[in-house]
This record gives sequence, C-alpha cells and structure tokens, in this order.
Amino acid sequence: MSFFAPFCLPFMAGAVVMFALLLVKWSTWFCGMPRADKMAVLRGLPTRKTLAAVWEVVSESLLHRRIFRINPVLGYMHASLAFGWFLLIAVGWVETVACLGLRYVPLQGHVFYKYFAATESLPHLAVFDQAMDFLLLVVLSGVALAWGKRFCSRMMGMRRTTKHVPGDRVALSALWFVFPTRLVAESITAALYGGGGFLTGGLGGVMEEYLSPLLLARLFEPVWWVYSLSLGVFFAALPFSRYMHIFTEVPLIFLRRYGVRAGDKESSGDRFRTDACSRCGICIDPCQLQSVLGIDDVQSVYFLRDRRYKMLEMKVANNCLMCGRCEAKCPVGIDLNTLRRNSRDTMRNIPDERRYDYFAGVDRSSGEGRVGYFAGCMTMLTPRTLTAMERIFAAAGEQVWWADRSGGVCCGRPLKLSGETDSARRMMDYNAGLFRKHGIATIVTSCPICLRTFREEYDLPGIEVIHHSEYIMRLIRSGRIKVGRGEEKFTYHDPCELGRGAGIYDEPREVIESLGVLVEPHSTRENSLCCGSSLANTVISDAQQLRIAEGLAAELDATGASTVVTACPLCKKAVSCAASAPVKDLSEVVAERL
Amino acid sequence: MAAINWGYGISKPRAIDIDRNNLRRSDEILHEMPELQSCIGCGSCTAVCTAGNLTEFNFRKVHTLVRRGEYEGAYELMNRCMLCGKCRLVCPRGINTRGVVMLIKRKLGDF
Repeated sequence: MSFFAPFCLPFMAGAVVMFALLLVKWSTWFCGMPRADKMAVLRGLPTRKTLAAVWEVVSESLLHRRIFRINPVLGYMHASLAFGWFLLIAVGWVETVACLGLRYVPLQGHVFYKYFAATESLPHLAVFDQAMDFLLLVVLSGVALAWGKRFCSRMMGMRRTTKHVPGDRVALSALWFVFPTRLVAESITAALYGGGGFLTGGLGGVMEEYLSPLLLARLFEPVWWVYSLSLGVFFAALPFSRYMHIFTEVPLIFLRRYGVRAGDKESSGDRFRTDACSRCGICIDPCQLQSVLGIDDVQSVYFLRDRRYKMLEMKVANNCLMCGRCEAKCPVGIDLNTLRRNSRDTMRNIPDERRYDYFAGVDRSSGEGRVGYFAGCMTMLTPRTLTAMERIFAAAGEQVWWADRSGGVCCGRPLKLSGETDSARRMMDYNAGLFRKHGIATIVTSCPICLRTFREEYDLPGIEVIHHSEYIMRLIRSGRIKVGRGEEKFTYHDPCELGRGAGIYDEPREVIESLGVLVEPHSTRENSLCCGSSLANTVISDAQQLRIAEGLAAELDATGASTVVTACPLCKKAVSCAASAPVKDLSEVVAERL
Repeated sequence: MAAINWGYGISKPRAIDIDRNNLRRSDEILHEMPELQSCIGCGSCTAVCTAGNLTEFNFRKVHTLVRRGEYEGAYELMNRCMLCGKCRLVCPRGINTRGVVMLIKRKLGDF
C-alpha cells in the first residue's frame, strides 16, 4: 500500500506550503520579540500557566465559548466548524489506527482513507463510518449557517458583518467547497464500493438507485480531485488570509498566559495579535462610530487587517474613541487599544527632546496634608466639581495638598493616546516627582483619565491612587461625612476610563444609593456607551461628537431620572450638551446633600 | 492664585507680507482642516490652555501666524502643547483644535 494517488497532489502541496509558511512566520515573529518577553515564555513553560493555556486553547480555539456567550447560534457556527473539523481529523486518525494497527500512514492516507479503503480493499469499521458521518454532518451544518450568515446576519445577533478582502474570499470559497465535495466524494465511493455511514452510505444508496454505474465510475476520480483541490487551495491561501487565526490564536493564548502583552512600542510579537484576528466582525456592532455615525472602515477588525497587510493609514489609526467596547467583546481577547496606540506611536512626529524643559522648577501646588488632590485638566474646566470637592474635604476635616489648583502639568494620558509615548513619559516623571516631593500617602483625583494613568503608568511606591468616587464612598462608610437621603431618582453613566478602564463600577453606585434611588440606563456597566468626547479621537468633528453624546443622552433621559450623575468631567461636559435632565458630577450631588 | 495669562497683551508692531510668504503649507493645512477658517480669534483656547498657563505658549497666535505663512518656530511652540484637550471643549466654533496641533506639527516638522 503506497497511500498515493495523483489526486492527492494538490492537497499535499497545499499542506506543505501552509506548514512551511507557518513555521517561518512564527519563528521570525518569536525571534524578533524583545528579550524580556522571550525570557517570560521560557520561565513560564514549566509552570501551571502552560496547563491553563492548553485548557484555554480547547475552550476558545475549538469550542469558542466566548462567542457562545455573545450569541448561541454564532457560537455554534464557529464551534461546529472548528471543533467538528478537529474531531474529523482526530477520529479519522483513530480510525486508521483501529483499522490498520499501529503503522506509519502518510498524511494523505489519513485524510483520504475512505478512498484508499475502497480502492485497495482495506478494512473499515461500521462504528467509525457512523461517527465520521455524524461529524461531517455537524461541520456541514456549520457551513450551512455560514452561508445563511451571508444573507441574514441578524439571525446571529450581528447587524453588520466584515467586508472581506479578495484573498479572504478565495480562502472562504475554498473552505465552503471542502465539506460538500467531501460529502459527494465519499457518497459516490459508498455507491460504488459499499460502506459508509447513515449520511454518505445513505446518499450513496440514493445515487446507486438513480444514477448509472458508468456515470458514477466516471465521476469517482474527478470528485476526489475537486475535494483535494479545495483542501489544497484553502491550505495554501490560509497563511495569507484571515484563516491564519486558526493556528495563530494558539501561540497567542500561550503568550498571554505567560504574561506577554502588547506594549507601548510595536514589536514583532504583535504579529501574533494582528494575525490571530479572525475578522469575525463582532467588534463592529459595539462601535458607536459605526452605529451612530456610519463610519465603517476604522473598527478594530479593519485596523488590524490594514496593519497586517501594511496599508494602515493615519486617519484610520486615529479615528477611534478607544472606549474599549470592542475590546470587551473580542472573542480572541486581543489587546486592541494597546495595538492601536503603538501604531500611533510608530506614525507620530519626531519629538523634540527639549519640548518640556519648561517643567523644570514648576510647582504651583498649595496646602499641606497626607491626602493629595489632583484635579486634572478637565476638572479645571468643570469648576463645580472642584468646589464640590473642596466642600467634601472641608466637611470630612481632611488636610489636603492641592496639586494643581493653580495650574499644573497634564497627567500625560492624552499625549500617550495620541502616540507620543516618550514625551508623555516626561509629564509622568514630572508629576510623580511632585507627588513624592510633597510626601503624600494618598492621591485623590476626580478625573478617570488621570486615575488610570497614575495607576498604570506612574511608579508611585507608598502612594495610594484613588478616584473621588472611592474616596467619597470611604468617607460615607466610615461616617466621616453624613449625607441626607431623599427620594430623588438618579441615573448613572459609567465613564469608559473609569468602568472598562479601571474596573470601578460599584463605588459610585454605592454613593448614589446613599443619596437617593438609582435607576440604570439600558447600556450599563461593561456595556456602557461612550460620550463621544474621548481624547483618543482626533479625527471626528464637533458635530459628530455631539451626535454620539445625543445617543447616550437619549438612553439616560429614557430612565426618567431627574438628575444624570457621572464621575468624569469630560463625560459631564459632553452629556450636558445633549441631555434634557441636569448632568452633575458625583461630588456635586454629594456636596449638595452634606 | 498666580496671575493668569489670558493670551492678550500689547503686541509688538509687525508686518506680514502675504505676497512674499510661501503659503503652500498653510493651504495644505487649511485643506485638511477647513474648519480652522471658521476661527473667530476669540482666544478661549489660549485662556484655558494648560501649557499657556505655565509658558508663553499661545495657540491662537501660533495657528494664526501659520495660516499667514509664518512658519518659523511654529513646530517648537506647538511642541509645548500637552494635548490635554481643554481648548477643544471651550472652542465656540467647535474646531478640532487637537487635530490642528497635530496637523501643524506634522506639516511643519522640518521647519
């Protein structure tokens, strides 16, 4: 038994091309990674992280559990194709072993076992015939759903699906051909040589009944050729198309488990992230630039695609609110915002090294105390928040060091979001130095943008960074301030940077519930909408920002609350332009009830 | 509170000869950001500016000069900007001021 027939050639060529390219790509990406990242992988290998990664590969790359959580039909479509095909390969392998014993069988021998079993009179077991037919049926149902998704994506909870590039369409068409041609090839084989399970055997019986044996014999070789050709084309196209994700998601999961994430600067390891995107398009619907403004070429799926094929334009990279709604939903768990930031960093202006020399010696802070208050640029534009905080501090009897009440330096996040990472570092160093110099133990800020930067970027040993919502909650809990509870109805808007960014959802809610009744808007917590004024976007116009804010305000007004509360000065500014109810910062509503 | 520099003062007399200035860059900037032409020169951007509070940086002055073809030093001055975005929130004409800063820096980086 040679396990070779001429029709196997396209499949063999495709498989060789695919595995060779995968090996070359992965090894170049891995070798180009920073040394620290490579060491992290080596150190992680013998730990339990590896086991956790293996389990995640099974549950995500094969079963697609995260997609099931988004929509069960969509999840079934992905799982039936991925897990079904995997089982076809695995059970097919077991089948050859069970039929032929432990001996070497070349790859095409496993894949086309039905052909060789029929033509070379090899044994076959009924139980495997039935099992393989069942698995083929499962995969075919996935293919049928994929077809259906082309015409009616709403069935799977998706309003919009991805617009594909030509290379993807070639691979997609080949993939759609693989399983129907396999069904036909195995059925004709069953019709001519007998065997086959309920599906291929059944279909073969029908063919035997209605088609002449001569026609079947004439079709026999050509259908196996078509099956092999579709497999070959798909495999050869895979490394260049979106189907690269099938294999690339696996190393990505391992990298993530070993603590290797995307960083401030582009790295060759980012290729594992861009190529792991399956362009499923789940990121399109949550994007408000899409749903409100109809902009449909900047979403993460298109950003990653453009970056992967080296055709990324600045206006695509810059046109993103970085609200994190897509990142929260990404079934592959790609660091979408970080990747966009490091693309912006690559495209940035050449910074002037001396641009912030004027920070030297600047110290406009005032007051003495263990607790510092950093208003941030945006709070300086919402003076009511500032005065409310002054009243709260006074009521609690807190000695406060005011970092920037008379002007100061920005926290650095806006600059960083624009990609000027190195320049932003100078601001961060300045502010961190200022905090250390004044010996504070806690820094309170009323701006979530500053909060996130302080927590993630600043090196502040011994200084606790808290948001004013957390601070006020502690004051109320410990009884240092007393607030009067009324029957007023409040609704709360989760700022992106505070909620999805810093994971602070419950503290502001607890504060509001101690003041009155809290009613939740339709999109809340992890799903909350962006106000549109995000500093991350430097492309959309004022009118477009306002339209996004109006969408959010409509949801907030629909709750019937008499006051809209938020905990971010930028959100407050944006929402108050659009909402009919008064919009107040959390500190204002607390200060009013002291 | 320290005295706030509102961006107003007595300017030194100067003459700009638009016929002699090369307006190509300026035209490119206005082409990409046409809304900049709707600026009424109110100076709100400069009044709230975080960098302007600490230095002589005056956004209104710089972009006005750039539009008239006076590019000298504009890149260095724009580099003082911290991109904090207060100017954009106060602009009565809704100009994307942060976009303007980044655009001017991109166009005049080699000046």
